[in-house]
Amino acid sequence: MKRYDLIIVGAGPSGLSAGIEAAKRGLKVVIFDENEKPGGQLFKQIHKFFGSKEHRAKVRGFVIGQQLLDEADEAGVEVVLNATVIGLYQDKEVVVKRGGEIEHFKGNAIIIATGAAENMVTFPGWTLPGVIGAGAAQTMMNLHGVLPGKKVLMLGSGNVGLVVSFQLEQCGCEVVALVDAAPRVGGYGVHAAKVARTGVPFYLSHTIVKAEGEECVTGVTIAEVDSKFQFIPGTEKHFDVDTICLAVGLSPMSQLLKMAGCKMEDNPKRGGQVPICDEYGRTSLPGVFVAGDVSGIEEASSAMIEGRMAGIAAAEYLGYIEKKDLDTELAALDLALDGLRQGMFAPKNRGKAIEQTEEGIAISENLLLHGYVADEEIERFPGVTRRSGVHPVIECTQNIPCNPCQDACRKGCISIGANITSLPIAVEGADCINCGMCVASCSGQAIFLVDEDCGDGTATVTLPYEFLPLPVEGTKGKGLGRDGKVICDAEVVSVKSLKAFDKTSLLTMRVPKEYAMKARFFKAV
Amino acid sequence: MSERIKEHPVLGVQEKGELVKFTFDGKEIEGYEGEPIAAALKAAGVMVHRYTQKEHKPRGIFCAIGRCTDCVMVVNGEPNVRTCITPLAAGMDVRTQYGVSDQPFDEQ
Amino acid sequence: MNSVNDRSRDIGPFVPGPDDDMLICRCEEITKGEIRKAVHDGMWTLTEIRRYLRTGMGLCQGQTCSRLVKGIVARELGVSPAELEPATSRVPMRPIEMKIFANEAPDEREDG
Repeated sequence: MKRYDLIIVGAGPSGLSAGIEAAKRGLKVVIFDENEKPGGQLFKQIHKFFGSKEHRAKVRGFVIGQQLLDEADEAGVEVVLNATVIGLYQDKEVVVKRGGEIEHFKGNAIIIATGAAENMVTFPGWTLPGVIGAGAAQTMMNLHGVLPGKKVLMLGSGNVGLVVSFQLEQCGCEVVALVDAAPRVGGYGVHAAKVARTGVPFYLSHTIVKAEGEECVTGVTIAEVDSKFQFIPGTEKHFDVDTICLAVGLSPMSQLLKMAGCKMEDNPKRGGQVPICDEYGRTSLPGVFVAGDVSGIEEASSAMIEGRMAGIAAAEYLGYIEKKDLDTELAALDLALDGLRQGMFAPKNRGKAIEQTEEGIAISENLLLHGYVADEEIERFPGVTRRSGVHPVIECTQNIPCNPCQDACRKGCISIGANITSLPIAVEGADCINCGMCVASCSGQAIFLVDEDCGDGTATVTLPYEFLPLPVEGTKGKGLGRDGKVICDAEVVSVKSLKAFDKTSLLTMRVPKEYAMKARFFKAV
Repeated sequence: MSERIKEHPVLGVQEKGELVKFTFDGKEIEGYEGEPIAAALKAAGVMVHRYTQKEHKPRGIFCAIGRCTDCVMVVNGEPNVRTCITPLAAGMDVRTQYGVSDQPFDEQ
Repeated sequence: MNSVNDRSRDIGPFVPGPDDDMLICRCEEITKGEIRKAVHDGMWTLTEIRRYLRTGMGLCQGQTCSRLVKGIVARELGVSPAELEPATSRVPMRPIEMKIFANEAPDEREDG
């Protein structure tokens, strides 16, 4: 039976990060992954990540995935794919199905980094072809280059539902509605806003009554629910769709740990059945550690840090590093992890209805109910100011740990400060040179460059644009408001696609000047 | 092939294997070598992969990552093949699965 | 005794519900009504439900329906889902053909 210092189950962001840290400290590491390709869910994430530079903010998910793979390769980590771990025993023996054979391995330490699986929600017709998980939509679009469908209804307004809705639109699918039984949007406001401004209507306090079709989905009916989640008669709405996407949460895939005899608990705040573990991933079984979503649903950014912690903790457990080095390294990583666990969406704030930002500004109610900040609410926020000449308008209205915009501007036009959850401020008197870096660097696509009065009755608005086909200069079309509704005529002044913008093109449109602070998206006619 | 993404705004043009022919319920269709069978079927507009044993209900892709087993079909005579994670090869014989067989229920 | 498993508790009779025909276990095609009735037949743990009805014993081995079944059984018993022990986790964690399960890789390929 082959023996390794460290066996890791799962080659996603946390597993790879753990392998890299352990291998760098001299351990012989193997990672088993049941999939054909490593990287977990990372390669399906085409959006730019949040956080700060140390959290790889501004970098697209699939690029981070490749970076991790390269680092793992360099560190000498053995990654075995198409290898399904079917059993984990108390004495740290791992049973793997590979090809048509069963193999046994012994690890001196084990890290379980198996991630999470999608939750289910039932309704009449939920088994019809055409009803898919949101992850399935991502897999089809971003890994296989195939459209999941042409007209989609998305159920779920958490980050997964919001992000996947936008990705569906980027491929040319029409998202006819974004529905959630909850009364408020569950994910980041900026994710919701970028979906809403393209014209997708949000239906909060609604859920699916039934999916229609004989052989596959041809339509869907939704209806409003009351505070007890019972349908309110007379509120039914029907949509013709061929696809229904379910994005209703994730549950940790922790069965291996249970099998091995780890103490488990059912913790709704962490997503369900999770192993009882300390902050460095040590479970109740000596030598068995956990990292990433399997220990509690969070984000890929936290998963990577947790992975690194578990890898280092495993190295100390096996005597490859001293306890004092362990303490120093873990303290630094703890700080980085803590930095991510702040703000409105921090795990500790889950379930709380937050009414004000840390600065004492009232959160946009409209954003939470409809997915966009209302015109009369937007100027409350410090990123939104009025002045002459081109200036950045930062429509970032919730406290989330994120600051690439501050670093993007060389002229100091945007300020966040040491606390990265603070709302970005448009700095008075700063000299904007209209370079567009802030627009392209904002992972939430929430920054615009606006010249409120060009002197001829018009204004220009530069917005981030990640769709094909790219319009050309002179294209006439319509300006859409934050709510995705047509509000004025618009003409394309320029479309800039620089390498530094990393696939975010900058579209500048000319609109009547009274719409300078209202028009936020362009649609060609 | 109208359901394939020709150029993606962020991912660009995705690399594909060779275009090969295979059969679905006896009909010849095309797909790219190495992509999941389910992807080739989706691109060709196929929604129903199988009918269930008890209630004879249609099923298709659900999770797309090999977990839910709703997309299974009879491939080269073997039933219960998860088409969302099985790579397409030239000349593959892919059939709608009825229960665990490739024969429609009234012929079983 | 753990109150969840105290079989002398009266959970009331089975009352038919409007969505009893909703499919819960997709692989074995088991409905909500069948699961609810099973609780009233005396199946109070998830392991018993699984053996009685085959929920979670189909091709996907419970990957899809486990959490749903847990919620339904918990509601029928009048307890929170967190109080129910999940069904026993056993090897294999993923569906596997018998011929592969029995096919041990030869020893000489592995280092001692």
